[in-house]
Amino acid sequence: MATNKPSPGRSTSTTPGTDAVIIGGNRIPFARAGGKYATASNQDMFTAALEGLVARYGLQGERLGEVVGGAVLKHSRDFNLVRESVLGSSLSPQTPAYDLQQACATGLEAVVTVSNKIRLGQIESGVAGGSDTVSDAPIAVGEGLRRALLAASHAKSLGGRLKAFASIRPGDLAPLTPRTDEPRTGLSMGEHQAITTATWGISREAQDEIALASHHHLAAAWAGGFFDDLVTPFRGLTQDQNMRADSSAEKLATLPPVFGKRLAASAGGAEPTMTAGNSTPLTDGASVVLLGSRAWAEAKDLPVLARVVDAETAAVDYVHGHEGLLMAPAHAVPRLLARQGLELGDFDFYEIHEAFASTVLTTLAAWEDDEYCRTELGLDGALGAIDRSRLNVNGSSLAAGHPFAATGGRIVATAAKLVAQRAAETGRPARALVSVCAAGGLGVAAVIESA
Amino acid sequence: MTRVETLPALPALGGLYARGLASSGRIAVRRTVSSGAGDLVLPDVTYRVAGVDTSVPDVAAHLERYRRVVGEPAGGTTSAGNPAGVPAGFLHVLAFPLATAVMVRGDFPLPLLGLVHVENSAAVLRPVRLGDQLEVRAHATNLRPHRRGAQVDLVTEVTVPGEGLAYRGVSTYLAKGVDLPDTSSAPGTEPDARGEWVPPLPTARWSLPAGTGRAYAAVSGDRNPIHTSALGAKAFGFPRTIAHGMYTAARALAEVGTGRGETYDWTVSFAKPVLLPSTVDVAIRPSGPGGGFTYQAWSGRSGTLHLTGAVTPRS
Repeated sequence: MATNKPSPGRSTSTTPGTDAVIIGGNRIPFARAGGKYATASNQDMFTAALEGLVARYGLQGERLGEVVGGAVLKHSRDFNLVRESVLGSSLSPQTPAYDLQQACATGLEAVVTVSNKIRLGQIESGVAGGSDTVSDAPIAVGEGLRRALLAASHAKSLGGRLKAFASIRPGDLAPLTPRTDEPRTGLSMGEHQAITTATWGISREAQDEIALASHHHLAAAWAGGFFDDLVTPFRGLTQDQNMRADSSAEKLATLPPVFGKRLAASAGGAEPTMTAGNSTPLTDGASVVLLGSRAWAEAKDLPVLARVVDAETAAVDYVHGHEGLLMAPAHAVPRLLARQGLELGDFDFYEIHEAFASTVLTTLAAWEDDEYCRTELGLDGALGAIDRSRLNVNGSSLAAGHPFAATGGRIVATAAKLVAQRAAETGRPARALVSVCAAGGLGVAAVIESA
Repeated sequence: MTRVETLPALPALGGLYARGLASSGRIAVRRTVSSGAGDLVLPDVTYRVAGVDTSVPDVAAHLERYRRVVGEPAGGTTSAGNPAGVPAGFLHVLAFPLATAVMVRGDFPLPLLGLVHVENSAAVLRPVRLGDQLEVRAHATNLRPHRRGAQVDLVTEVTVPGEGLAYRGVSTYLAKGVDLPDTSSAPGTEPDARGEWVPPLPTARWSLPAGTGRAYAAVSGDRNPIHTSALGAKAFGFPRTIAHGMYTAARALAEVGTGRGETYDWTVSFAKPVLLPSTVDVAIRPSGPGGGFTYQAWSGRSGTLHLTGAVTPRS
């Protein structure tokens, strides 16, 4: 199967219904937390990404079928974040929208759901995306104060309200900022991944290698103009702020570990290997993808990069340590491949979201592990190894940053353009595998093919 | 034959503590005077309260506060379609005043203050549902030597009349420095925190704020000053307040989730206390193909073991 062109799996023959094609994407450069976008809201950023897309494809005044997206860290007042962004854009105000949220998989799940509606014929066009800011994150009042305020508002008398206020203790006044801890375990995502990393015995060097490749690949893609029609500058930022084109293995090797520092003393633990360099930094940004039916794209005289072939969402049992928190894509991909009659080697590009360098490596290690694939994935044996030269060829989240809900749109637009370019070069169809892990033990995988 | 003494209602803990203080002083005096302690005998009495009404709003509100503190999910309907049973930890809390009443009796031979809760085992034999009329019993038994003093079991039982025994809890307390005959050969039952114990990989982490003791005291009624006040804790030799052992065990029970089933055994052994505030690493894992879970909690910083236990479904 080690050929450059995709095997003729079922995906290339017939797909029922209408194709959902990817016309293009747009995002704003991703900024480091507290950086250029420190005062930008999710709505500001989503609107900016959307408006850039509208400008690029001449969609002013257009009534699209639907705009779907979301944010992971979202203020309760932003209940209609995407609809409000649409109203603030040049799209027709008659364009419906809704918010969707699936942690870090929000953007990819939005692409899946919009493409499904297109394939069902319910809509002809749509935009999928996401936005996230950790700099402008909502801050909530502490639980004690919140309960007291609610009790006061439910009270029917002045005395009842005073009684409710009297229950407030000084400690209740401390604000609550959003955390990346898993609600059910209290462990941060990094600590969870450190456990998975130790379990799979992933080395520091292998992780730093992934991080270095991410920076170099992303820098080369920027330098080569790959993002010229995928990004609109915002607030003075023209490139991803986190990117370090001059990063080196030596520099990465000097960084101290930040996760898993307590695990060395554990049975089955290991010396800590995860650093700020091989873990994704907190970032702000937004991204959107324009999708449509083939007929709609033709009627509007819009280019077609690729089509969304199929997708699979998985979830894993991580609460009592049976599986790693971020291992769901390892489960989603084989199910997706089986449904499409594809093998792991049948792809020109692998876009595996770099939540942490070790997330990519534990996923690949899992697919190469005969025992794991039999017992956990129900396969006959190892799923296989991938050609590493096809992995995240234009960089991924370690270099670009990872504004949670914005990552799916970034990856899908990149993958669509990659397969379109490859198909144009070779005259043969090209195919990409996309996978994104998410909090809550969730993961989404998708197959994207040149159209 | 054990004498059964029926009380009109579950006693209030506040008054019991006052009596406990007084009797602790009396016992101290008695021990100083007699110094030979081979004559320690448990009162041969079972306290009984019938008609404990859990249908009143107070109990529902109490259960709701308890759930919020220990992280038990709101009790809805089980997968079998029945109203969810109340958590075992809540039954422990419900029966705790009656057990305390036994311990503050003038003829209870150990001082209430300074008793250390070292082990607890509870069995839910049938679900107790909010609204059930309950009979609660408590007695002390099995006074035995320990290398550091004497141990005693406080047994509490909850019966649903017409249905049978629903809950049985055994709380083991250690009275340090109390001499019983042949202490030389007495076993130590607590897990050895300084020995070869190596923490497993964690599955969870608890960030316990300084107010954890006060929060559980408010829902359990166990207002022992070592849990609620820094000064009180210092008086008993702790640098800061310590978490109630039963809070940590109840939280582990809650985090096992629906896997415990409607009826289950729940055990815990307490090692070193959790000083507050604290970050505690926790491992809650399936114990084998037969079902059930084991749990350990330890200090993430020092690796010191705090508690170990198991939750095993009965059906």
